[in-house]
Amino acid sequence: MDWIIASVVVVALVGATTAVGLLWRRRQGAASPLKHEEAPLATGDFGGTFDGAFGERATLVQFSTEFCSSCPGTRRVLSALAAEREGVAYLDVDVTHRADLVRRFSLLQTPTTLVLDRRGVVRTRIGGAVRRSVVIDRLEEFA
Amino acid sequence: MIDPRSPRLGAGITAALLLITILLGIALDPAPGSGLLDRVLQPAFLLLTAISLLFLRGATAGVARHPYGLLFRALVRPRLGPPKELEDPRPPTFAQLVGFVVTAAGLVAAALGIPYAVPVAAGAAFVAAFLNAVFGYCIGCQLYLLLVRLRPTGRAA
Repeated sequence: MDWIIASVVVVALVGATTAVGLLWRRRQGAASPLKHEEAPLATGDFGGTFDGAFGERATLVQFSTEFCSSCPGTRRVLSALAAEREGVAYLDVDVTHRADLVRRFSLLQTPTTLVLDRRGVVRTRIGGAVRRSVVIDRLEEFA
Repeated sequence: MIDPRSPRLGAGITAALLLITILLGIALDPAPGSGLLDRVLQPAFLLLTAISLLFLRGATAGVARHPYGLLFRALVRPRLGPPKELEDPRPPTFAQLVGFVVTAAGLVAAALGIPYAVPVAAGAAFVAAFLNAVFGYCIGCQLYLLLVRLRPTGRAA
């Protein structure tokens, strides 16, 4: 009897963990539009990590850590998108030692990507490895 | 830098061993009032001890020198194509430390006579190992940011 209970628990655990994993994977790279518009950010809000200017149409800001497995892939996608498009800037912020920025932007995972419009207002937040098509859709919407 | 498929293979083996631990731990949970020796000689307790020591090995020696890392390089890596990209060994090493802490806490609780401590700890470790093996979820990467947020000082040099 105990073996039956143990087997049921094991099967239920595998099932529940698989469901969590599927849910997590579906949300990776999905764009979450922000409910209310926040005040525009300035380049100084990134704690001295930004030495250029925001893009004339849009800016892609990626938060990374030194040991983040999907950060290099996201960096490739975003920097290529910015290079292909006039007026789109790309910024990679390393927050490995920047607790201030982790708190300021409520980062729960890296990479986290912010898409800013021409005024520096955050229009989209993307958690996890980005999907090229999702970023393009969002850029085309307002940039 | 390491091949990211190496820690995932290790996580898969660990997840399978943890499932066996849970099965044995629930089916053969020692009766209340049994002696310390009875409790620590349970198959589930012994298996979780072995898993816990492997976590400790990974956390201290690094995942590359972990037995599963050696297994990957000797048997699996030669049969696969080159990896798309390499990965920093620190997140999987940190995850090994988390695994060690969780499993060691379960072993201590079980030795103290808390019922089902072994399967509960094995279950928690299983969730992380399974998500890592199957979905590539890296719990160390997320916990690291939480630790950064909790750290009182604003920035490190």
